[in-house]
Amino acid sequence: MSDRKYKFSWDLLGDIVKGRPNLGLNTSIEVYRLMQFSFRDVIERHVGTEQTDQIFFEAGKLAGSEFCQKLFANIKDFNEFIKSLQETLRDMGIGILRIEEADMEKGTLVLTVSEDLDCSGLPELGYQNCTYDEGFIAGLLESYTGSPFKVKEIDCWCTGDRTCRFTAEIVK
Amino acid sequence: MPCDKDHRIAEELAGLLLDMLLRPEPPEIPERYGAVDSLQTLHSSLLELRNFLHAASNGDLSGRVPLPGYLGGTLKTLQANLRHMTWQTKMVASGDFSQRVEFMGEFSESFNAMVLQLDQTLQELVAKKTALTQANEELHKEISMRKETEAALRKSQEEMRRLAMTDALTGLYNRRHFNRVAEEEIGRALRYKRPLSVMLFDIDYFKRVNDTFGHNSGDRVLAMLARITREVLRSTEIPARYGGEEFIVLLPETSAPAAAEVAERLRGKIEEAVLQTERGPIAVTASFGVSDALEHSDAKPGEQILSEFVSSADRAMYASKDAGRNRVTVFGTEEPRCSESLDYSVDASHG
Repeated sequence: MSDRKYKFSWDLLGDIVKGRPNLGLNTSIEVYRLMQFSFRDVIERHVGTEQTDQIFFEAGKLAGSEFCQKLFANIKDFNEFIKSLQETLRDMGIGILRIEEADMEKGTLVLTVSEDLDCSGLPELGYQNCTYDEGFIAGLLESYTGSPFKVKEIDCWCTGDRTCRFTAEIVK
Repeated sequence: MPCDKDHRIAEELAGLLLDMLLRPEPPEIPERYGAVDSLQTLHSSLLELRNFLHAASNGDLSGRVPLPGYLGGTLKTLQANLRHMTWQTKMVASGDFSQRVEFMGEFSESFNAMVLQLDQTLQELVAKKTALTQANEELHKEISMRKETEAALRKSQEEMRRLAMTDALTGLYNRRHFNRVAEEEIGRALRYKRPLSVMLFDIDYFKRVNDTFGHNSGDRVLAMLARITREVLRSTEIPARYGGEEFIVLLPETSAPAAAEVAERLRGKIEEAVLQTERGPIAVTASFGVSDALEHSDAKPGEQILSEFVSSADRAMYASKDAGRNRVTVFGTEEPRCSESLDYSVDASHG
């Protein structure tokens, strides 16, 4: 597609400080989830469940990659990267990231996200719901390391767990 | 009101559940309830939960929490906290002291305090090590400087000692040092009854050399004679500049005839030598006196014995002068060993 209308750019997010002098930078999680779940609903109706999950994964990956390039491009040390990521995710109210295992020589990680923006507090649905988060983490890691990562959510609030747990493995 | 049967069943099932929670060995479901699926599921879940908790209590946090919902979620949070804390501890062990635990109440405070203390202690140790290293380096510099100073001082002392012992023009021992060494040699020769000779020689007509060629040339003649003397003598023989143009040699383990042979060899070398100057060549001769007349006397001090010993050679040397110069005379014989006519015409006085 050569004449795209919605190609991502940080500029598209606009000048929020100027634009919201009274309401400020933040909004309610409810509104965020309202938008996300209404998207899911409509997109699923148009393209089906599998395609919807794929779209959310890719959107998350794009967001993670842009996020990394914008905020962590100058950090060389991996531990420093993780620390900055933890602080940023917490400060922005995205979630509380914790590392359970990290072996960057092998390219494997196990990490958890508590109080997750997308799913914490959702009813038990019986299936993993954080496809956007999977993509977001994959985009972050790929952008930081330069290598693609396969990220899988293995425990999710929606399956009755209070913390979302992800495995990440480098794709060789 | 429940009937007795219902009550009994409820009691039995409650007992079963309590046993699942309390007993070391989990009970089986009674056969009569085997067909109740929900009870099978509950029994199976509780069994898995027991196994998970048992493994976790033994340090294995890798197990999968078997239950969904509140209880499973709570355990999952605890498991996630402990696993994250394990990772944080590894990071601290690798030197990352910025790790902080924020989710385990009093334990978090203790862990964070420990990490802070570790960080602070390590920083203090590093600071102390740096200070010690610096102090050590400064100490090494100080030691090095002192060693250099000591070496320079030793060198200076050696130079001063050498200057105190030697004659600056000829590089031979000076008279004072010769006397000290000679007294020791005389003492040794007398003590062990060993032969010892002394040789005294004086450049013939040296005043005329100075007058004709200048004092600088005279000094060069003296230096040349010192060089020839060193070349002719053995290392055990001790030469010195005794006066203006007068030289002396102590010859341990040497009788007068042998000393006279040495003197004769030296006389010949001096006679052959020619010093080239701007005003023309200079050739000189020397008159020699040799003596081994060492007189032992307990009543005489070493200084006097030396003086008399040298005087005997001096008398022999003047005998050489009187006999026409450029010759060797042994004390006691007063007979010159060699006599050559000289070109220089001089005053009647010695020279």
